[in-house]
Order: sequence, then structure tokens, then C-alpha cells
Amino acid sequence: MPIVASFARWLETRDWAMDFAGSAYFYPIVLATHLTCIAIFGGMILITNLRLLGWVLRSQSISDVVRRLRPWKWGGLVLMVTCGVLLAGSEAGKYYGNPYFWTKLTLLALLIVHSLVFRRSVYQNTAELDRAAVIPSRAKLAAALSLILWISVVVAGRMIGYYEGPTSLAGPASAAEALGR
Amino acid sequence: MLIQNPLNSSEWSFPILECFHIAGFAVAIGTVAIVDFRLLGLGMRRQTPGQLTKDTALLTIISLIVAVFSGLLIFSTDPDKYYLNLAFLFKIACLLLAIGFHYTIHRKVVFSGASLGASMLVACVSLVLWVSVIFGGIFIAFESLTFG
Repeated sequence: MPIVASFARWLETRDWAMDFAGSAYFYPIVLATHLTCIAIFGGMILITNLRLLGWVLRSQSISDVVRRLRPWKWGGLVLMVTCGVLLAGSEAGKYYGNPYFWTKLTLLALLIVHSLVFRRSVYQNTAELDRAAVIPSRAKLAAALSLILWISVVVAGRMIGYYEGPTSLAGPASAAEALGR
Repeated sequence: MLIQNPLNSSEWSFPILECFHIAGFAVAIGTVAIVDFRLLGLGMRRQTPGQLTKDTALLTIISLIVAVFSGLLIFSTDPDKYYLNLAFLFKIACLLLAIGFHYTIHRKVVFSGASLGASMLVACVSLVLWVSVIFGGIFIAFESLTFG
């Protein structure tokens, strides 16, 4: 994928990316914001899914849990992705050669597919789910898949920092490497 | 004679512990944040803060225990690296404050009610404390860059 490689090379030599990679404070602050979003908004995603499985918040309707938290999850997702793009963009050459990074992107793509597949029948259909005597299995399937995918995204994301591969495009030693050492 | 920490014999133990740590604090802080959002008048407004807390309390405590225990195990892999680390000390101070606050003042305001102003203040203090724990945690790895 020479186009992707040269894009990665181009991206990491942008002024903002160089400033970013060169700043001692910027990287950890954006990383911490990324993690904060995972905690607050990722936590909400987990809870929504656990509600669809019928494990928590049972005194509240599925409609309430799904609909009331939706705008916050979207807002959090935008902030989380923005931070992620900044983190990856500042060291694009290194991320390009990192299999965990591509695993993570693949999982995120699968999550988009997941949301499209279950949008109609589950997430936009909460009133009917609430009327059902037992939570329909398609809702439980959607929740279980979403949980598995999101947890895998977190695991793949964490593993990015551990990969030291030979295929990485040469880049400066960076703050990311300090993480978890 | 030195006793080897078995966690240090595998290169996988550290990342696996970290994944549990992240998943644990994500659920713990996520559940607390739902209640805090409610105290601020946002999110799940049809429920009372007390109802929400009752429904999430078990999940909060279980995930907090997972996060704390995985954290203790992470700490045990290299205590020397942590106990003099300013970011780590900051994190632990914020964590103790956050837990203490959560099970005293926060709890009282959630269950017995308070004026909107007081509720919002308590929610903000809670969110700031928990987010500080995360920031402190991230900066543990960057201390040499920022304080060194």
C-alpha cells in the first residue's frame, strides 16, 4: 500500500504533527483526554449494552437508557476520535507499520457495520423492545456483539503501544514508547 | 534472597492487567458519570439521581474493585518505579479523595437531595476528581518528560 505509506509519511511531517510529537505535554494530555472519553462515554456504551442484555438498570426502560444517553455518546465519540486522530497522525509512520493499529481500525469499521445492521431493528426500535415480554434475542445479539467489539478495540488500542516491529517506517523515538515501560 | 514476582516472568501479564484496569475504570467512572450528568440536569433526566445510583451502584463497586486490584498488581511489578513518581502520588491522592467523596457527600446528596446548585457542585467535584485520577495515571509514564 504505497499510497497509504506515503500518506502516513506526509501526515507525520506536517507542522502540527511535528509540533505535537515534539511537545512533552501535548501527547500525554491528548492521550489522557482520549482515555477520559473511553471511561465516561465508553462506560455509557457498556451500560447501554448491559441494559439491552437485561443485566443492569432494569427499573428503567430501554428507550430511556438508549435515547437519553445517545447525544452524550455521540459527543464523546467525536472527541474520542478527534484525540485518536491527533495521536495517530502525529506518529503516522510508526502507526502505519503497527498491526494492532490496523486491527483497531478494522474493529472500528466493523462497529460502523454493526450500527448500520442493528440500527433499524434495535437502536431505533426501543419502544417495541420495551413492549416485548422478554428482551428479543436480536437486541441481545446486538448488545453482545457491540460489547465484544468495543472491548477488542480497547485491547487493540492498548497493544499499539507495545508493538516494536521491524516493519515500522523509521521515526523518532517518541513519548508513546515511554508508555507502559 | 529476592523473591521473583511471577507477574514479571511473562511479557503478557502487564498488558493484560492494563486491559482489565482500563475496562474496570471505564465502567466505574462511566456509571458514576451517568449519575453526575443527572445531578447536572443532563442525560437521564426522567429518573432521580437516587434511582440511577441504586441501579448502577453494584456495577460501580465491582468495576472499581477490578480496577483497584489490577492496579495493585501493576504496581507490584515495579514498586520502585511508582512510589516516588509525582504523577502516581497525585493519582492515588485523587483516587482516595474520589472514593471518599463518592461514598460520603456524593451519596448523601444523591439520596437525600440538595438544592440544584449544591447538586451541580457535587457533580462537578466528582467528575473533576475522577478525571484527575485518569490524567494522573497517564502522566505516570511521562513523568521523566514533564518533571525530569
